[in-house]
Amino acid sequence: MAHHHVTSADIAINGDHLDSSKVAGVKSIALGVAAIGTVASLYCLFFAPESIRGSFAYSWVFAFYFFLTLSIGGVFWTLLHNVSNSGWGTSVRRTFENLGSTFPWMFLFVIPLLFPQVQQYLYEWMNIHREATGNVKEHLHHTNHLLYNKYWFMSTAFWYGRVAFYGIVFSAVIIGLRKLSTTQDTDPNPGIKRLLQARFHSTYTLIIFALTITFTGFDFLMGQDYTWFSTMWGVYLFAGSALNSMAVIVIVCTWLKSQGHLKHVTGPEHFHIMGKLMFAFTTFWAYITFSQYFLIWYAGITEETSYFLIRNTGNWNIGMIALVFGHFVVPFVVLLQAWLKKNPKMLSIVAVYTLCMHVLDHYLITIPQRGVSLGNIKPDVFGPIQVSIPGAFWGDILAFITIGAAFVFFLIRAIGQHSLYPNRDPRILESANLFN
Amino acid sequence: MSTTRKRVYGYLAEFKSASALYKAAEKVRDSGFKKWDCYSPYPIHGLDGAMGMKRSILPWFVFFGGMTGTATAFALAYTTQVVIYPTIVQAKPANIFTVPAFFPIMFELTILFSGFTTLFGLLALIQLPRLNHPLFASRQFHRATDDGFFIAIEARDPKFSPNATRDMLSEIGGANIELVEEED
Repeated sequence: MAHHHVTSADIAINGDHLDSSKVAGVKSIALGVAAIGTVASLYCLFFAPESIRGSFAYSWVFAFYFFLTLSIGGVFWTLLHNVSNSGWGTSVRRTFENLGSTFPWMFLFVIPLLFPQVQQYLYEWMNIHREATGNVKEHLHHTNHLLYNKYWFMSTAFWYGRVAFYGIVFSAVIIGLRKLSTTQDTDPNPGIKRLLQARFHSTYTLIIFALTITFTGFDFLMGQDYTWFSTMWGVYLFAGSALNSMAVIVIVCTWLKSQGHLKHVTGPEHFHIMGKLMFAFTTFWAYITFSQYFLIWYAGITEETSYFLIRNTGNWNIGMIALVFGHFVVPFVVLLQAWLKKNPKMLSIVAVYTLCMHVLDHYLITIPQRGVSLGNIKPDVFGPIQVSIPGAFWGDILAFITIGAAFVFFLIRAIGQHSLYPNRDPRILESANLFN
Repeated sequence: MSTTRKRVYGYLAEFKSASALYKAAEKVRDSGFKKWDCYSPYPIHGLDGAMGMKRSILPWFVFFGGMTGTATAFALAYTTQVVIYPTIVQAKPANIFTVPAFFPIMFELTILFSGFTTLFGLLALIQLPRLNHPLFASRQFHRATDDGFFIAIEARDPKFSPNATRDMLSEIGGANIELVEEED
């Protein structure tokens, strides 16, 4: 092979650490923006005039869930790396774990959604449950047969229980796996014990992952219209999550390499594989998204078609068609090229582009519902049902910047905490000498 | 004594192992030869790099083959289902917005045409099938399918010289160097 063969002499014995002074500025700016944004957001969610509170609730769900998909995806890649006994990814595994470790923090932004004052604009089914007098199930039996049938799943107590499950159990998964990985960096006698442990504990936790990505999607997004359902919903969100968390990982690795880190252990071959995974999930996203559309389109059932009717009304239609070309056709053709995937800078440009498309995707998942639901729930405040609420766009930007700044802060914080690659992992040399 | 005219194909040299072949290939590459090849019983990882082989043009054939498949499927479905005989099912439109129904066909024909161009493009590029190869005249060459590692340098390479090339092959570790001649 033409390139230098990496030996243990090239591995930093005490790890490759990020110089904290270099990122201190970015970190404090991100924290400041997130703090100011959170205060402004709390005002918009709880104290502003009702017209703002209602529309901002949707902004919050959009931004919250967008960044949650990136964190959940980081956990997914960690689990997949461990459970597939992967050797190639050891040198970039710490970045998977760092991205995943933002999950417990990002999930804190769910807190406003736990309050009925916010829920009343988002989840009509909760309003119906809360208006019930006496036994809720009995009440629904006489007034709303659909919600009566869905009562075993859609009840406020179970909903809060599920939210607690995501926040506690899924956080425990990534905290535990990351701890297992990072304690190895200083272990004077690192054997293969942790390797086997990580592999074992990544098996059943993949089920927890699948439950989390599916049912957060059901509870926070699909629940906005309790009459609508799609069996493709969970896997659709998963496709976008895996694709775009890999995009974040590519950007982080490129940035770390440009700062002189990950020397010897990460090279074009690793970027080639990560690019191939991005390509695979671009195709997977298109496959799943089209399948969902196709199933609903040819069945033509009233309850199901509402999702696409809303998103094909008015200018939302432009966004939906833009997704077909922007989220699939363009990245598909661009990522076909092998040389591009081996070039970290070029691949990062594609990754940034993919993330922009992910923003559009999630904007179209949550926001078109706003004008419909608010007009339906409180016509006296928001007027009749409309395609979009004028001026609500600024709230979307505020929520996105707030939660985005927090995401950047927690990600950089996690990157700075430990060595940038598992320097004492028994398979680090196998990974460093990757050739594919 | 035979009176058959013969034409020189080139030199064939044997190497001890896969790694000897790999290192010899690097040296032949660096000497600037163009018309030569390595023969081994099994694929050797990275040998294409050691031989200085350029990336194949085949992916481009496959790309355009696949696009032809997509276009063919769309034209076929659109012409039959919209232009010639509009088929209305479940009040679905019979115009360009019927296109989701065509996607599975477009996907399938893309795959089919890509597969065909991969197979037939590859066969064309490696000039297969063929009835014979000049190297089959060699007595030792059959071992390339068993335990022999060979390099053959063709006489039509501009850098080929009867003495210097033989000396170079022996210098880089080649054994049983043989001048392969094919019958005219």
